[in-house]
Parts: sequence; structure tokens; C-alpha cells
Amino acid sequence: MVSDSIAAVPIPSAANTKNPGKKKRTNRSAKLKQYKIDARREQWLSQGAVRSKGCKDGVDDEGHAPPSPAEKHIKRSLEPLATRRRGEEDDGLIHHDSDSESPSNCPNSCNDSGTNFTGSSSGGSSSSSSSSSGGCCSGNITEEEEDDDEEEDEGDDGCLDDWEEMADALAADDKHQQSPCSDSPPAVQTVLPGEMAHGSNFGSPNSKPESGSRLVPWASGNNRAWRADDAFRPQSLPNLSKQHSLPNPDRRCGGGVPWVRTSMPSSCPICCEDLDLTDTSFLPCLCGFRLCLFCHKRILEQDGRCPGCRKPYECEPIETEASVLGGSLTLRLARSCSMIERNQYRCGLIQSQSMNNLSFLLLGVLMIGS
Amino acid sequence: MEVRSNPAADYSSGHRRPPAVQSKQPLPSPQPIDTSSVSNRLQKELMALMMSGGDLGVSAFPDGESIFTWIGTIEGGKGTMYEGLSYKLSLRFPLDYPFKPPQVKFETMCFHPNVDQFGNICLDILQDKWSSAYDCRTILLSIQSLLEEPNLESPLNSYAAALWNDKEDYRRMVHKQYFAGEALES
Repeated sequence: MVSDSIAAVPIPSAANTKNPGKKKRTNRSAKLKQYKIDARREQWLSQGAVRSKGCKDGVDDEGHAPPSPAEKHIKRSLEPLATRRRGEEDDGLIHHDSDSESPSNCPNSCNDSGTNFTGSSSGGSSSSSSSSSGGCCSGNITEEEEDDDEEEDEGDDGCLDDWEEMADALAADDKHQQSPCSDSPPAVQTVLPGEMAHGSNFGSPNSKPESGSRLVPWASGNNRAWRADDAFRPQSLPNLSKQHSLPNPDRRCGGGVPWVRTSMPSSCPICCEDLDLTDTSFLPCLCGFRLCLFCHKRILEQDGRCPGCRKPYECEPIETEASVLGGSLTLRLARSCSMIERNQYRCGLIQSQSMNNLSFLLLGVLMIGS
Repeated sequence: MEVRSNPAADYSSGHRRPPAVQSKQPLPSPQPIDTSSVSNRLQKELMALMMSGGDLGVSAFPDGESIFTWIGTIEGGKGTMYEGLSYKLSLRFPLDYPFKPPQVKFETMCFHPNVDQFGNICLDILQDKWSSAYDCRTILLSIQSLLEEPNLESPLNSYAAALWNDKEDYRRMVHKQYFAGEALES
């Protein structure tokens, strides 16, 4: 099925969507493109078995219509992308053309998820830019990695001397391309309208965990985050949907994005200093009274009672409850306490991961919001 | 009134000095005392109090140069036996405020079961029930509500506690002592 679609999308049809100005490409670049297309087709065919499932399951129902009978659909879904690209390509880069129009890209456009994690070989260097362009306006880390990938891949192609030159230009364009695309991931925005700024990061970071093994990142603009039941959702991604069952995970963790929290005091009520990121994710007491770590430490050195509720910090409030209240309530309190701690730990984990890899954090946002 | 004037004189003379000694004592404590953060917080409290306190019948302002010494004012609540009266208090913030409560005293003589003849206040939140989440505004509001809801269990002024149920006599004593104090000041 996928291979069908590849075969069925001829290069001339791709040229239809091409900017007329593009047609005066040199033979050389056309040749180059052909190399790439061939290489990609090979890869594509080698993985068709795996991927076709993805296209059937995850893609058709989303209206992206990858297979050959739906070639027009493909074009249509690519239309905004292509139009947008045309403007950007005026500075003379060929690669984006081949991204959106080369046969192998048409199936790719159906779903981000399939390729990135099923693919195991390299190649598709120029099209990696399209995946990053799809929904990323600020994923700088990602871009750079991708650029690296591109250059490696291109080295593998080993076809032309000015290949690197073009790769550089592509990289430059790549970055340039990030900004206009901030509106492209509709899925993210509908799921989490409140977090659009973060949601727009989704496109590229999603593909990051497997960046080494990325085969043909897909022309996107239809970027979607993993769904919990997605067949190709990588096992390595944290399953944050569990947190729905936890008490107020969104409030305590800010839905995985601590800095979006709304009900957070901006300064410590004790010393009036501004709360930093560590302080804001610090919830020392069940009563919800927040304070900075310095004041907390200082109180621990003294009477060790929460200023908000006067109960002693740490485990003692639960023991106090035990003497007053029934055992079941005590148990419940103990459990919720430990859950909060775990939650916080998870938040911290996500935060630290996000330093290296935004995808976990962003995925967390989406999973919680959906 | 004469009874009070002497202790009051003693008190006011001894009042300024001992705290100076006391404030020295916490200094050698293990924690370095960050005066700037304390005054930062006090300034924020002052701002908050000036913005909202007036509506609640409480106000306070630093007394003189130091921001660690304030003069507060509480108006007696409406419908209470202290209605129409305005009481002055002194607040002395320790250097480790808000981890330790301020010393709060009535400067105006106050006839109340939980206020002694020197103006000392017996209020749990100013002692063992203090929390660093309290601030000047909540202190003054607490004292304001203490006026109409005394704790008769542990009175400092047992005469006032005994008189509490006799509203007329109690009110008369409140006014008598209040205006006597005012006359004393002027």
C-alpha cells in the first residue's frame, strides 16, 4: 500500500505544485533530487510492511489519506505547506521542494509517528527539515540535532561536492523556517488551548527521541502528538495519562509545565523574595502552603511547623491525624501524601529531561490535556 | 489612674532599653540574620496595610526611623463595647521576624480581660501559636476581634473578666480607663 503510493506519485505530479520559478533548476539539482528519491524509495520499500499498518491505523482516520487512491488528498493536505514553502523557497533552496513533493514524502505526510520510530536507517536528509518545520517555533535543540543528522546523512549520500554547501543553506533556511510555522499544529492547539505557546513545540520534539534512527521525517503541518493508544507510540515515552487518577495533578504539577501554573504565589509569603522554579515546584505541606526553600529550611531548624496550618512538617501530621481520626482516613492521608511526593518527583524529572529533550515535557502537556 | 501612671512610667522607661538588649541576644545565634530581607518583608506589609487596613479599622506605621518599631491603631468594632474607641499599640519586630512574633502592647490603656495594666496582651498567636504566615495586618485584626471575644479562661485582668457579663459596668469601665489614659497622655 505504501509502496503503491510511492509508485503512484510521479515526479511530474509533484512538479505541479511547484512554484514555476522552481522549474529553472539546474540539471544537477534535479539529478541530486533523483538520487535522494531513489534512496528513499529503497528505504521506504524496505519498511513498507511496518509502515503500512501505521498508515491504515493511525492515519486514514485522521483524514491525511496516505495511500495512492488519495493522491489528491495528499496534495490538498500538503497544500498549505506547499504554499507556505513557496514563499520561503524563493531564496533558492531546492530541498524543500523535494520534501513536500517527492513521492516518498506523500505517505510521510500522513503521520509523523510511523516513520520516526519504525525507521532505522538514515537518509531522507533534506526532509528532516520538514518535520521540524511542521510545528516548531522554538525547538532550537532539536533543530541543531537535526541539522547534524542532515549533514551526516548527506555525507552518506556522497553524491555531490556542493552537497554540504546546500546542507548549510538548508540548515539556515531551516531555522528561518521555524518561526512562520507556529500555527501549524492544530491538534495541539485544540487539545490544549491554554498552552499554545508550549504546544507549538510539539512537532519536532516528538520526533526527537529517535533522532538517530529517523528515516524519513514527514512533511508535517499535520503534526500530532502521540495518543495513548497509538500503535507506534514508543514505549520509552512516559505514560502520563496515569496522572489523571492522581489528586489534582494538574494543579500541583502545572500539568507538567510548572511555569504555566496560575495559582502560584509569585513570591515567598515569608521572606517576600521571588519564588524560583525550584520553589514553585516545592510543596512541603498537604495544606498547600508554599514557601521558598530557604524559609522552609529555617522553619525546620526551629519549630518545624507549616506556617499555613501549624502542623509539623513531614510525616508527623499523619501521625497526629492517626490519634484523632480513624485509621482509614489516616491511610488515605498517607497515600495522598506519598502521591504528591511522587508527583513532584515526576515533575522534577520531566523538568530535567526537558533540558535535554523537550519532547517528554511537551508530551506530558498533551497527554494531560487530552 | 495614679495606680497606672507609675507602672506606666516604669514601663516606658524600661520599655525602650530591654528590647535593645534583647535584640542583641539573638545575634550570636547560628543563623546569620538578614536584616534586609526582614525590612523588605516589613515594607511589603506596610504597603499592604496602607492599601487595605484602613477599611478594616486597623492601621499601622513605622514609629520613627526604624522599620522594626511600628505604632498601630485599632478601632473598636461596631456593636461592641469598644465601639467608637481607638486604641494605640506598639509593635516591635524582632530581627528574626517573621520566624518569631513581634512584641505587641497596648499603648492606650485598655480595660480587657486579656490585657494587663501595662498593656501586655495575652494572645496565643503572639506567643506559642505564632506562625510566620501572620503579618501585621492579621495581628491587628486578631487583637481587634479579641476585644469583643475575650478569653475568660486565663485572664490577665481578672476584674475585667469578672465584669464581662455585666455589660453596663463593663462598658463604663472601658470608657473610664480609655479616657483616663487619654487625659494622662495630654
